[in-house]
Amino acid sequence: MAGRRALKAVLIDLSGTLHIEDSAVPGAQDALKRLRQAAVAVKFVTNTTKESKRNLLERLQRLNFDVQEKEIFTSLSAARSLLEQKQLRPLLLVEDSALEDFTGFNTSEPNAVVIGLAPDHFNYQTLNNAFSCCDPVVFLFEHRCAMILDGAPLIAIHKARYYKRKDGLALGPGPFVTGLEFATDCKATVVGKPEKTFFTQALSDLGCSPGEAVMIGDDARDDVGGAQDAGMLGILVRTGKYRQGDENKISPPPHLTCDSFPDAVDHILQNLLQ
Amino acid sequence: MRIERSAMADREWPGCAKSLKGVILDLCGVLYESGEGDGVAIPGSIEAVKKLKESDLQLRFCTNETQATREKFVAKLQRLGFDISVCEVFPPAPAAIAVLKERNLRPHLLVHDGLVPEFDGVDKSSPNCVIIGDAAEHFTYQNLNEAFRVLIGLEKPVLFSLGQGRYYKETDGLKLDVGVYMKALEYACDLKAEVIGKPSPTFFQSVLNDMQLQAHEVLMIGDDLLNDVGGAQHCGMKGVQVRTGKYRPSDERHPAVTADGTVDDLAQAVDVILRQRGR
Repeated sequence: MAGRRALKAVLIDLSGTLHIEDSAVPGAQDALKRLRQAAVAVKFVTNTTKESKRNLLERLQRLNFDVQEKEIFTSLSAARSLLEQKQLRPLLLVEDSALEDFTGFNTSEPNAVVIGLAPDHFNYQTLNNAFSCCDPVVFLFEHRCAMILDGAPLIAIHKARYYKRKDGLALGPGPFVTGLEFATDCKATVVGKPEKTFFTQALSDLGCSPGEAVMIGDDARDDVGGAQDAGMLGILVRTGKYRQGDENKISPPPHLTCDSFPDAVDHILQNLLQ
Repeated sequence: MRIERSAMADREWPGCAKSLKGVILDLCGVLYESGEGDGVAIPGSIEAVKKLKESDLQLRFCTNETQATREKFVAKLQRLGFDISVCEVFPPAPAAIAVLKERNLRPHLLVHDGLVPEFDGVDKSSPNCVIIGDAAEHFTYQNLNEAFRVLIGLEKPVLFSLGQGRYYKETDGLKLDVGVYMKALEYACDLKAEVIGKPSPTFFQSVLNDMQLQAHEVLMIGDDLLNDVGGAQHCGMKGVQVRTGKYRPSDERHPAVTADGTVDDLAQAVDVILRQRGR
């Protein structure tokens, strides 16, 4: 810990860390209150391809968490920032429920494809459309305009291989992103966890550097590994998708592995504040 | 000096046509452009096939077509006006069936409806591998997920891909090909697919065996730089690309594959070959 500056911000994962489906992790609401009494900024960060900030906020408030919408930063927010920064007109392959996080964009004659988890949209016809529009040659041909796509023609919300559904495993967005990368011979820009830029963007409006922040989450690779690669500390909680031995899957190992969110908060309050 | 130079020229296109004994043609994008119904014959290609057949060159057709059985597919080509018979055409599905038999595998199929009858005699109960072909509109999330679940449930998942093309051209635009969905399943299951069809060397070799010719005696003509031209060259054949089908100008400055020759279309290729041979 030598040389680390005082902690200024705590990033907290949502599903699996604060709540599991529709029930809060025991003691999590009180722990969040205790954390807010300390002089640190708090942000809630999550990989989602279908839930808007408003959806997430409503769920957290239903579960009696003290959260404001501006404190939520998702992989959809990260995609939005990238589109704004590069002034791109997106073709959005995300579920309808996520569209409200993308209001205000000009989507005519799209010059970038945003691909999220949208089983309903992942069919042959839509993929063909996505293909023609992010393939530079076809795009130039079809639109007869001499613009060169650079930067981010294909933006992936995240690249999960699969996820668990009630009826079994189901393909995540990763396989479809990989397929489109192959078709267009270009590499997608991934914006969600565990990308470094996701964490630095989440911290950007808090005015603190990664060295002054800690991340709490249940996913060893995406939450803890990603945060630590970005220069933050990472705390792994043994709730949600955690499986025994997950802490050994990343190198360096987590700063701390503890039973649940309240323990993580106690550790921060006792050891990481000056 | 003059002799040396001409000997060298005879190893290159078009001089190499003098010593050829056989020609392999790709079908879609070389003989015809696919699209609604049977598609359309590319101008001059019907006559070009006829001229090749009348020559002393052996002729075979090597395709990654997986939307119909070989019989139906050949019938379509005949309707378009091509003089072509079933035994001259080499698609991936019959090769895949041979592999299944050899390795005692029972497939789950993610292929076009039109190809299903090709697998009529194949045991598909409790599948222990997946075969993916160009399923076109059958590439739905649900069908892909079904194939994924079969693979992820196997102790040793085996995925066969009938070809690995990126895209092809139809009259209404470019379409994603089987390779895109092969890559998707590879990533999802963290495995490597076995490709049956072009550019797999074993696939080309089976055609050469049928002709009883050596690779250096045979020329491949196709519209796909990587799968036709690159695949053939990798086996020791010459590869010529036509500027029809999925050809793109950027193919002529590809960093990895350089065609031995590039011609406007099949008609021009055949004229050049036959002129070299003095006919």
